[in-house]
Amino acid sequence: MVLSVVKREIKRLLSRPLYLFSMILAPLFAYIFFPTLMMEGLPTDLPAGVVDLDNSSVTRQIIRNLDAFQQTKIVAQYNNFAEARTAMQRGEIYAVYYIPEGTTKEALASKQPTVSFYTSASYLIPASLVYRDMKMMSEYASGAITRSTLYAKGYTEDQAMAMLQPIKMEMHAVNNPLLNYSVYLSNSLLPAILMILIFQVTIYSIYSELKEETSKEWLAMTNNSIYKAVIGKLIPQFFVWMLMGVTCLVVLYGNCHFPLNSGLLPMVALMFVFVVVCQGFGVFLCGALPSMRWSLSIATLWGVLSIPISGFSFPQMAFPPALQALSYLFPMRYYFLIYVDQALNGWSFGYTWLFYVCLLAFLILPICVMGRLKKFLLEYHYQI
Amino acid sequence: MKWLQNILDVWRHEFIRVLHDEGVLVFFLVVPLLYPLLYAYLYNNETVREVPTLVVDNCKSSMSRDFLRRVDATCDVKIIGHCADMQEAQELIRKHKAYCLIYVPSEFQKNILEGKQSVVELYSDMSGLLYYKAVLSSCTEVSLEMNQDIKMQRLVGATKEQAETFAYPIKYEFVPMFNTQSGFATFVIPAVLMLIIQQTLVLGVGMIMGDEHEKRRKGIVNLHVQGRKPLTILLGKAGVYLCFYAVIAAYFVCIPNMFSLIHIWQWKSMLAFMLPYILSCIFFSMIISVFARDRESFIVLFVFLSVPMMFISGISWPGASIPSVWKALSYIFPSTLGINGFVRITEMGALASDVRFEIVGLWIQAIVFFVIAWLLYRKNYLSKQDL
Repeated sequence: MVLSVVKREIKRLLSRPLYLFSMILAPLFAYIFFPTLMMEGLPTDLPAGVVDLDNSSVTRQIIRNLDAFQQTKIVAQYNNFAEARTAMQRGEIYAVYYIPEGTTKEALASKQPTVSFYTSASYLIPASLVYRDMKMMSEYASGAITRSTLYAKGYTEDQAMAMLQPIKMEMHAVNNPLLNYSVYLSNSLLPAILMILIFQVTIYSIYSELKEETSKEWLAMTNNSIYKAVIGKLIPQFFVWMLMGVTCLVVLYGNCHFPLNSGLLPMVALMFVFVVVCQGFGVFLCGALPSMRWSLSIATLWGVLSIPISGFSFPQMAFPPALQALSYLFPMRYYFLIYVDQALNGWSFGYTWLFYVCLLAFLILPICVMGRLKKFLLEYHYQI
Repeated sequence: MKWLQNILDVWRHEFIRVLHDEGVLVFFLVVPLLYPLLYAYLYNNETVREVPTLVVDNCKSSMSRDFLRRVDATCDVKIIGHCADMQEAQELIRKHKAYCLIYVPSEFQKNILEGKQSVVELYSDMSGLLYYKAVLSSCTEVSLEMNQDIKMQRLVGATKEQAETFAYPIKYEFVPMFNTQSGFATFVIPAVLMLIIQQTLVLGVGMIMGDEHEKRRKGIVNLHVQGRKPLTILLGKAGVYLCFYAVIAAYFVCIPNMFSLIHIWQWKSMLAFMLPYILSCIFFSMIISVFARDRESFIVLFVFLSVPMMFISGISWPGASIPSVWKALSYIFPSTLGINGFVRITEMGALASDVRFEIVGLWIQAIVFFVIAWLLYRKNYLSKQDL
């Protein structure tokens, strides 16, 4: 009985290009898009400008050195700050390094001149990267002068460094030492997009039975057992999603070589649970709302909101309390937490099991609405 | 003036049709109204504060305690506990009690007193970049402060100014412009607003057209468009969408004001930019709506694209680092020009002349999209009539 529903569903999936697009082409597009977009890992050669009113050999050296930094590329020199600001407002540069007139002279006369740098922080990521380079350059510029004074006084290199910087910070970015942005973003964005598509295709495929007035025929195949009917319908979809899910993992950990400290198998297990939970959530939305017309809209809201609220870019601990609580109602939140513990950090399952329990708890939701769903499918007449 | 009468007729019918369709109103009213509020509320704190951090202090000296006290006093880091060794700290991090760890080695104070360099090690869980930033910037800030005092002591007889001039022959200052506190809400919300305009239009108009196609297949003909010129239909419908989105745009430009985000735009430039953006989005959505087979298919096909469109715009991942293939592709969508122009006008105080590239680009898009939409409408409405 279930088997005949499976066969019927395979035919249905093949009959409309919409399924081919949303179940195969759309995920593949995302898998190609994000990793190639962020291929650099950490952006390099971000355009920045300079206003050098001093124009001495020392300041020219500073500018050359700044240009040599990996993230910064000096693309223009401006005659005054106003010009540079306009260039920022036009979006031509992300930052300006400003050297006032007389800097070299004052520095040599121990009058301590001030250089400044300005970033266009509306573009948060490039601004913070160029900021890092400009700050380091400024430290070096001062350090170079002081160091030569110290060497002249007979200090060794170690002593000079200790004099310049008595306390030094050494940062360890555990498991992502190069600060690869794609590791942050792709690892969550790809599954999130898969999730949105699973929600929508699950709902669309059930809803289309109503629209095409085939729902009675569908249920009749399993003697009106809603469980068998739904499971039979979702099995072929499950295999496609699982294929796309594993492809996602292969892209992330095989092609992109992102940190995979847990081994592939735990991530495949996570993907398995995630796919089933997302399908279940789709079924839940079909049965829970007053009309199935609303299901797709709500799924869209929930799906898109999953991305910020799972907390992979802006951390959950910084949300207002109400939204912190709300975040636990999104399957994506648990996917993210489990991914961090497993693939990124490679911690043992003992630290993660609770997240799995929470994720699996979402499967209770569709069970609660099965009766209602059956009623919809048997009694509802699609109104055009 | 018969043609104008015809357009107004279509406009009136379409307006009533939209008002009676809950599904479309979700996209034309509910999403634009609520989504920005939700986002603004979510990112209300702008940045992460008081990141829970552990300490392994093997030095236990007055200097190490001073260092840690000052770090704890910064607004970004909160020291939640001292651990005996690294194992204990790791265990707590694995239990998700803390995200960062500060390790002070036993020779910390001794090195400083002997004139050697002291190294403090910082560890951060990399599940969030903001944790890393918080602990690094707070500790660096404190170390620079303490370094200043230490240097003064070492240069016997020097005043504070002399010590400072010695350490920093050239001083520097950093000024973050426009988004002055490097906040997340200020960074994300303007982009989200522009994307909402484009995406809700695509979904809403797609639903309207899908609905027409669905009905037509069942033999129900849309009477208010039947027999009219495609251009009349196009303009009448576009007029309705323009009315809705003029109101939405007016609401959106006020969002930054409502949530005290940076807003230094001036209205002439805003108007000069917003008009072509909305027109471009409307004709763009009308083009693709022609391919909608039923009411819902566009939701399945288009929602997920919001995410790539956000990233391709260059607001998050820098435009300068986007591979040229994707960059070229990004100019097909109004959102790329729209997001960049809007961010620069609202937050960076750019004038219309500063965003000329975007404004001209949007007008070109609007005109090209209009012509394509007209051609597709001819095909869509004329051929069906002949049937």
